[in-house]
Amino acid sequence: MSRGRTRLLRAAVTRLLSSLLVLWAAVTVVFVLSRASGDPVALLLPDDASADQVAQMKQTLGLDRPLPLQYLDFLGGLVHLDLGDSLVYKEPVTSLIIERIPATALLAATALLITVVVSFLAGSIGAMRRGTALDRVVMSGVLVGQSTPAFWVGILLVLLFGVTLRALPAAGYGTPAHLILPATTLAIFSVAVVSRLLRSSLIEVMGQDHVRTARAKGASEARVLMGHSLRNASMPVITVLGLELGSLLGGAILTEQIFNWPGIGRLTIDAISARDFPLVQGTVVLFAVTFIVVNLLVDLSYAIIDPRVRSHA
Amino acid sequence: MSMTAPHAPTRRTALRLGAAGSLLGAAGLTAGCGSAAHSEGTSALRIAQPSEPTGLDPHLESGLDGMNVLINIFDTLTMRDTENELVPRLATHWEATDEHHWRFRLRKGVTFHNGEPFDARSVKFSIERLIDPDTGSTIVELRSVDHVEIIDDIVMAEPDPVIPEKVSLFGGVMLPADHFADVGAKGFAAHPIGTGPFRFVSWRKAQLLRLAAYADHWNGRPAFDEVHFTAMPNPASALAGIQSDAVDLVSALDPEAALQLEGYKDVSLTTHPGIRMYFVVLDTEHEVLKDARVRRALNHAVDVPLLISAVLNDSGREAATIVPREAFGYDPDVKPPERDPDEARRLLADAGHADGLTLSFTASNKDQLVSQALAGMLEDVGVTLELEILEPGTFAERLASDDPSSLGSMYLTGSTGWTLDGEATMQSYIRSDRKRSRIRSPEADEMIDALEQTIDPDARLKTFRRMQEWLHDEAPFLFLYQADQNFASNKRIEWTPNVNGTLAMETAR
Repeated sequence: MSRGRTRLLRAAVTRLLSSLLVLWAAVTVVFVLSRASGDPVALLLPDDASADQVAQMKQTLGLDRPLPLQYLDFLGGLVHLDLGDSLVYKEPVTSLIIERIPATALLAATALLITVVVSFLAGSIGAMRRGTALDRVVMSGVLVGQSTPAFWVGILLVLLFGVTLRALPAAGYGTPAHLILPATTLAIFSVAVVSRLLRSSLIEVMGQDHVRTARAKGASEARVLMGHSLRNASMPVITVLGLELGSLLGGAILTEQIFNWPGIGRLTIDAISARDFPLVQGTVVLFAVTFIVVNLLVDLSYAIIDPRVRSHA
Repeated sequence: MSMTAPHAPTRRTALRLGAAGSLLGAAGLTAGCGSAAHSEGTSALRIAQPSEPTGLDPHLESGLDGMNVLINIFDTLTMRDTENELVPRLATHWEATDEHHWRFRLRKGVTFHNGEPFDARSVKFSIERLIDPDTGSTIVELRSVDHVEIIDDIVMAEPDPVIPEKVSLFGGVMLPADHFADVGAKGFAAHPIGTGPFRFVSWRKAQLLRLAAYADHWNGRPAFDEVHFTAMPNPASALAGIQSDAVDLVSALDPEAALQLEGYKDVSLTTHPGIRMYFVVLDTEHEVLKDARVRRALNHAVDVPLLISAVLNDSGREAATIVPREAFGYDPDVKPPERDPDEARRLLADAGHADGLTLSFTASNKDQLVSQALAGMLEDVGVTLELEILEPGTFAERLASDDPSSLGSMYLTGSTGWTLDGEATMQSYIRSDRKRSRIRSPEADEMIDALEQTIDPDARLKTFRRMQEWLHDEAPFLFLYQADQNFASNKRIEWTPNVNGTLAMETAR
């Protein structure tokens, strides 16, 4: 038992170190790329700014110092969770990001909830009524969802529910009603991916011995599904859900643009177009950390759901 | 040198003071039935524009979208009215007492939103803070000011005839000196206090910036109880916003976006004259373009009226110069170059390009359609453009760069001189020491210096005329058009912008 625990500890430490390495690589790439993309001073100053003004602003922003120094400063700041000040807003990057996290978290969480609920329903129906007309309808819907770009769905939803029917707000933030269209838009692709996977995974599990045994003992189809199949079928689904959370964050960038949603996605786009280096770096750090944490959580959840994984760690 | 600007209260002001009470009641009534989203009894005017302020310290804001918000919180010393006249605001009279002094008389009885009185100390504090390098302001217009003396004088190191115009917007916002000393720059930016018609309420970034009517404003209480600003960078969101009644006014629509609104019966599109000038800067040192015949040929080849009707949906006015019609110094006698492809071909052949020639052309992707149309028209006379269309950030960066070749042999640009004095745009694009200029002419530099430093308006007008004749003959630009401003609004709002396009909502009904 103690040998197992040491092994688990060593695995966790290795995992953490490699996560830090990934984080370092991500922020370094962004640091280099954002500086290669150009000079923010041109965008911050008026058209006819003098050479003196340019020099003064570069100095104020610390952009006149050698790149390696700027880089070391940036890494040093990261260690202290200090991401510097935004060039445009002249406020700490951390507080600008923290202001925007709730909006994106709310959007991504709602989309994830929609994904879980809808794909559980669609996947189970598909698996239990395999080959029937109902299955074909559900799976065609899934195929459409998977092959339609999110921004297009978003625009259609805005036109239908926002402009024509005026049933839901077309853009903005603040009430639950504002959440419906963007969360649906964001969830559509994930719903398609996860339902398909859950359906095929369920079909596979339902063919296995222990499920056949349960059926033979007279268990109802619902009980077979809930008690015996779902748990095993959910292993690959959890991995994919983890990946989907990543793509939800990525998709949030587009969705937030369409629906004028005040989250991290919009902040990132604005920061990129203004060449606001510290802010771009900050949002990328946030995205990288989120991905890493999600991956860790996915691995952990394996160990909880499937005892076999624990012993093999 | 008597140049007292006119300055009893205007007819409009007097009218507004008298009628404010009754209009207020009417606005309350109409607002009630406008929108379900605002049924709480206050009338809020909801405005969408492409971006929001970068902060609320008016001396650190150099973008027009930011100023659109701030101009409602802060008053300026002078102001442009909807007829484009420079009229009194916090200053009631002004005159140049000699080459180095402008004297302003201030309005009495004005208070800031926190009750602090507005007086000459506020002016001294505000202007001296703006020009102090430690403030880090990017507003360059007041660089000729040396200091302010409290007999209401602004003292200039260099003579500057345009001071009254320059304190009509960015240069003239008045801040409360005592309050500022109490809260400091950061505290002030977190909750700005001005003398303007609306006071700051709250700002949730990327969502909503709320202003409320200032009941004690010297010019009477505004008709709307609140003004809400929302930044909608995506034009489709803004259009959906007005179509679904989530906003009342959308500013800065481009002509194509505006087209999409046709047929929505509750939404009206309004087009107002604007002062943004579009022209192509020709590199007069380029081996081919240094020949004035080639530059004139390009001007003859481009059919600007066709460009305006076909590409801009008629949302613009043909330009004969780089100075807007509304600006001081505009000379109506200078006509646009005649659009004549045959003449263009003849001039090109004269210059030794009978077989055609190729030129590089750079523009921002905001102006992609115009660029492509220009390329097509020039192709007709044998000039091939190698187009380089850039993302706006990259384009802005190259505009500001020290390397003139980064923009190729010609580039398309738009320029808004908010002081509405022709000198500003001429400086930036003609004076040989400016980054955007592709002209090396001592003669032109001399004329610009004269424009910049002569106080006498008649003498300036004469120089402006010479300057525009010079432009016409030398053709260092491809003169294009003056863009209109497009707004979309619903029936809740009645409002006329002034020609500089700021969203001052004091007069909205």
